[in-house]
Amino acid sequence: MIGTFFALVAKELIGFFRSWGLVAIVLYSFTLDIYITGAGIEMQAKNIAVGYVDETGGGMSGKILSRLHMPEFQKPVMFTSREALSRSIYNREIMVGLIFESDFEKKLERYGRSSIEMLLDSIAATQSFQALQYLQNILLDYADIGIPVELKIHKLFNPNATTSQFMAMAEMLSVITLLGVILTAAVFVREKENGTWDIMLLMPIDPKLIILAKSFSQVLVIMGGVVIATGIVLFGVFDVPLNGSIAAFFLLSFFYAFTSAGIGLFVAAVSKSMLQVAQLSILIMMPLIFLSGAWTPIHAMHPLLQKLSLISPLRYYIEGSESIFFRGTDFADLWSYFAGVIILGSVLYFYGFRKIGRLF
Amino acid sequence: MSPGVIRAYILKEFRELLRSRLILIVYILPTMIIILFGYGIRMEVTDARTLIIDNDNSTISRDLSARFEHSRYFDTRVTSGMGEQEALKRIKQAKVDILVIIPDSFEKRLLHGEKTEIGVFIDGAFPVRATTMQNYVKGVIYDAARSLTDKKPTNLITVNSRNLFNQAMRDEDAIVPGLIGLILLVAPAILSALLIVKEKEEGTIFNFYSSPIKKSEFIVAKLVPPLILHTVNIFILFLWATWLFEVPFRGSFLLYWAASQIYIAISLGVGLLVSIITRTQIVAIVLTIIITIIPGFLYSGMLMPISSMSGESKIEAHIYPVMYFNHIIYDTFLIGQGLDSPKNRLYLTILFFYALFLILLGSRLMKKELS
Repeated sequence: MIGTFFALVAKELIGFFRSWGLVAIVLYSFTLDIYITGAGIEMQAKNIAVGYVDETGGGMSGKILSRLHMPEFQKPVMFTSREALSRSIYNREIMVGLIFESDFEKKLERYGRSSIEMLLDSIAATQSFQALQYLQNILLDYADIGIPVELKIHKLFNPNATTSQFMAMAEMLSVITLLGVILTAAVFVREKENGTWDIMLLMPIDPKLIILAKSFSQVLVIMGGVVIATGIVLFGVFDVPLNGSIAAFFLLSFFYAFTSAGIGLFVAAVSKSMLQVAQLSILIMMPLIFLSGAWTPIHAMHPLLQKLSLISPLRYYIEGSESIFFRGTDFADLWSYFAGVIILGSVLYFYGFRKIGRLF
Repeated sequence: MSPGVIRAYILKEFRELLRSRLILIVYILPTMIIILFGYGIRMEVTDARTLIIDNDNSTISRDLSARFEHSRYFDTRVTSGMGEQEALKRIKQAKVDILVIIPDSFEKRLLHGEKTEIGVFIDGAFPVRATTMQNYVKGVIYDAARSLTDKKPTNLITVNSRNLFNQAMRDEDAIVPGLIGLILLVAPAILSALLIVKEKEEGTIFNFYSSPIKKSEFIVAKLVPPLILHTVNIFILFLWATWLFEVPFRGSFLLYWAASQIYIAISLGVGLLVSIITRTQIVAIVLTIIITIIPGFLYSGMLMPISSMSGESKIEAHIYPVMYFNHIIYDTFLIGQGLDSPKNRLYLTILFFYALFLILLGSRLMKKELS
């Protein structure tokens, strides 16, 4: 029994390694894809293009402009007229346009307060908002409010607020979901397409064993990918902190891989061709990923979506992994994430299991 | 090329699309993407769960807490006497986003002009949100401080900001036009790649190899159905954007249509190239997704403006077609310069030649024989 099981697992693994296209895609997804997402997607405002028109003749305006530097701002570009500045903003070459009006400095000397006119390309809303905040913070440094309050702000878990670490982790979890479903569905549907699935079910081996072995082999492939991705990309390249226990993460990933294999079983049961597998997986996966809180924290969602997100296993997986890597939550406090993944996972897996095991 | 042959082949393709229910994905997928991403991506932070530990319980500290409570950015709870460790544990369990600690004798020291400090802890696991929350907290506390003092401030410089193009800084306006670009790049490419690779995988491609149909006729017949089907999506997506997400449309619809049509042709070219190097449908789908989605996000300007890029990412942005199309799309929706702007005219021309290049390259590389 155990021997048959492992023979079947080995058969699937050999089949997987023989299709080099699939191996290449799995390797790519677990390494380069995560790297590109982590290195490329930057949501913090950085390197902002600034232009200015200075009608004052230097002094205070020069001091302020010299404070705009890397990494937040590019070197400010001078424009001779407001029209030229605004044209550049309309062509989206400049994001922040500052205008120092001719009486800017006079007002500051006489009344102790003055203002800068600012044209802001606010299409990328978050970044524009941050640009505005950066500027206000710089200006606040010059002001003397006259109150002895010191503000001590600590950003916990990720003090430099590096987006790359978070993005790389979130992308890895999405890759696990995507491949977990597609690979599992593929091993069954390929047999269906070749007409060998019915024969498999009629063989003297218990069909339950076949299904278990087939899906287990794909879980192994995914876990291999997870090890590569966490070791090389997350820790090696991005220096993701590990404040919790790595064993807890792998355990959670293992359960989660079974959950997505369960979805894969269901997809395989209802589709007749690889084409339908692809369609269905995308249709199921997209809501799953978007209800997971990877892009938006759950409590900021529409109330109806918040309720719906309770049935997304990815939600528990992402929150759990975030807690393990960044927050360093104790193992005992992780039980809710484990419970979420395991309960949803077993329901999905057994449903898919029953469905694919039926002949014809 | 014979029109009769092409017509017959196109009819066959449509019939197969209907029969395999592939047609559903053509219309469900784009709508689903725009709705999910459009509602799903929220960069703006509201209702950050804030815990204020007020160890002073004086007029000033209560006034400060009230300022947090009245802001829609915070969802505030005020307690006193909770230990710092206990409160930090709440953050670890992801039950609290922001923790503000007001020390005892805060008011007394303040009135005596002695130095005092407020401790703020922010959950930084989600970096952009952390930075935004930090700025909110700073804003509230500095505002409170400023209103407290009767001293005339010196050297106070304020910013009169005019927000152009997206006055209310809505996330929908920032993201939805970019999503149209993403969808029109991904979806037609997948469909056109599938239509060709399906025949390879099922072996029916030999009908093409052995029949007198010309290569050009085959390619036209394979690309026209996705082109027609996805042209409808240009209008559907426009309706979702303007009606459901209430994104303003300030430019010319004709430019939007023309640019989108060319962009679909580029996407079909990508699909054609993918179909040449792949043999199975699953590999074709995954490959198409890989080479379209990531650049489609990175160079869209949705998350990061192109003007903020530097070095290699700036060069890459100029290589992919995404940046050119998204510039035009954001212009038609939010800016409205249209063809008056030389940059838009240039970008439209680049897109046109891009499409031409990809499709010609695909036609040259495709072989009407067993490779």
